[in-house]
Amino acid sequence: MNIKELYQEIILEHGKNPRNLRKTDNFNKDAKGNNPLCGDNVHIYLKLDEKKKVEDISFEGSGCAISMASASIMTDLIKGKEENEVKEIVNDFLGMIKENPELKSKNLKEDEKTKLMCLSGVKQYPMRVKCATLSWHTLISAIDNSQEEINTEKLN
Amino acid sequence: MNIDNVKKEFPIFNNKVHNNDLVYLDSANSSQKPQSVIDRVNDFYSKEFSNVGRSVHYLAVAATNLYETTRSSVQKYINAKDKNEIVFTKGATEAINLVANTFSQKHLKEGDEILITELEHHSNYVPWHFLRKSKGIKIEFAEVNSDGEITVESIEKKITPRTKLIGITHLSNVTGAILPIKEIIELAHSKRIAVLVDGCQGAPHLKLDMQDLDCDFYAISCHKMYGPTGLGILYAKKKWLEELPPYQGGGGMIKEVKKDSVSYGDLPNKYEAGTMATAQVIAFNQSIKFLEKIGIENIIKHEQELIEYGQEILRKNNSVKLIGNPKNKGAVLSFTIEGVHPHDIATILDEDGVAIRAGHHCCQILHDKLGISATARASLGVYNTREDLDQLNSSINNCKKIFNL
Repeated sequence: MNIKELYQEIILEHGKNPRNLRKTDNFNKDAKGNNPLCGDNVHIYLKLDEKKKVEDISFEGSGCAISMASASIMTDLIKGKEENEVKEIVNDFLGMIKENPELKSKNLKEDEKTKLMCLSGVKQYPMRVKCATLSWHTLISAIDNSQEEINTEKLN
Repeated sequence: MNIDNVKKEFPIFNNKVHNNDLVYLDSANSSQKPQSVIDRVNDFYSKEFSNVGRSVHYLAVAATNLYETTRSSVQKYINAKDKNEIVFTKGATEAINLVANTFSQKHLKEGDEILITELEHHSNYVPWHFLRKSKGIKIEFAEVNSDGEITVESIEKKITPRTKLIGITHLSNVTGAILPIKEIIELAHSKRIAVLVDGCQGAPHLKLDMQDLDCDFYAISCHKMYGPTGLGILYAKKKWLEELPPYQGGGGMIKEVKKDSVSYGDLPNKYEAGTMATAQVIAFNQSIKFLEKIGIENIIKHEQELIEYGQEILRKNNSVKLIGNPKNKGAVLSFTIEGVHPHDIATILDEDGVAIRAGHHCCQILHDKLGISATARASLGVYNTREDLDQLNSSINNCKKIFNL
């Protein structure tokens, strides 16, 4: 495994210039997540319309290139999707990072899959998996309105 | 033992990391172990094992003698007045918890103040926080200056008539500042305030003389001193250990147990309840021997040369920023690279076999003060060389290249 497979250009670019790094006006769902071991933190804001479609999603927080890029790519890709589609995509992504060789979701277009697979390099770095998945777990927490702050040390 | 060849004593360096030679720069976290310490654990379990202080059979007597030999070696190494001033604990964390717990039982009431510093590791803050919650004591923080130092004046400023104990680190695990603890202890004692020194970083790198320092409590982490994990030491003046109540109750710490009363054993048993980390204590004697063979003066000279060299090359490296610039600096080089998060630095350096730590290093108070969430930290041990620091610098350059800096 070459370190450059982890730090691909697209990751570096999103890490440096994260998309949707702001706070959504009139958001109706949100959740916080943090990684107590390294101090990374993220706050996800969601605005769902009446049909439960993601009208806007944004995030605030700080962290390493992997965590910022992951949140950036995620928010970019989730916008416009419906709530149930979002949940399915999150599960697919987490499954891919955990064990699956590829993404299976029918709710993802090919170019979206290609973009997400850029984060698959993290599989070779077990200590960094939490960096890539923090914002995704936090997104689910926001959708479920669980009010519980995501803590990477309490996730399986 | 010549310090230039000391790396050979550590078998870990025979292994490759990602096909590279290991450049271990994480000794402030935990140090590597010399062969003699590893062998001692093995030998004790293979040939000499028994619990200590209880049975009268051959092995028990021999093991007890070995265990007590380490206590005497530690006493000598840190120049404590009395062998019974050395208490073994499961770590420096437990040593500090022991002091916080027992000292508060006897001497702290609501509104009393504990003075610590913004440099403290969480282990010299959270035990006091417990008392803030349970007893309503107050915690004051002496402020760190822009060079990452704590001065005697910054301590003096925060002392009030209600200050009962000052808890300070000997050597900061982030800025590397060596604190003027002797002056602080003198000042505290002139106001009848007790002093606990967190010696986790001080003990492996500095000369220790408890009688000269005159501190009340000094906590040591053995695994940072080329010793086994699961072992710490609390040095405490005998008057305190005699006066304060026991910390944990159990076997080995009692004198007499009746249905309606319990009396406690003499020192050092009073504070060593239950079966202790026997093999680790016995092996730690080899760590002391190892340090004595090199000589602390040689260690200080070697590490000082390295720290100056490390600062020199990192200062020349564009976009690297050293954290803290203390006049008296120990074996720690914390830094940031503008545009690269410390965790990314650590992962990229690891690929080259360079082991550093990234994060807040259990010092969130300090990082909040500095306004950063994390730093990268290269920390030194006796085995490090200039070549290690050159490799650090070149891996940092590689990191900058990957991030297009």
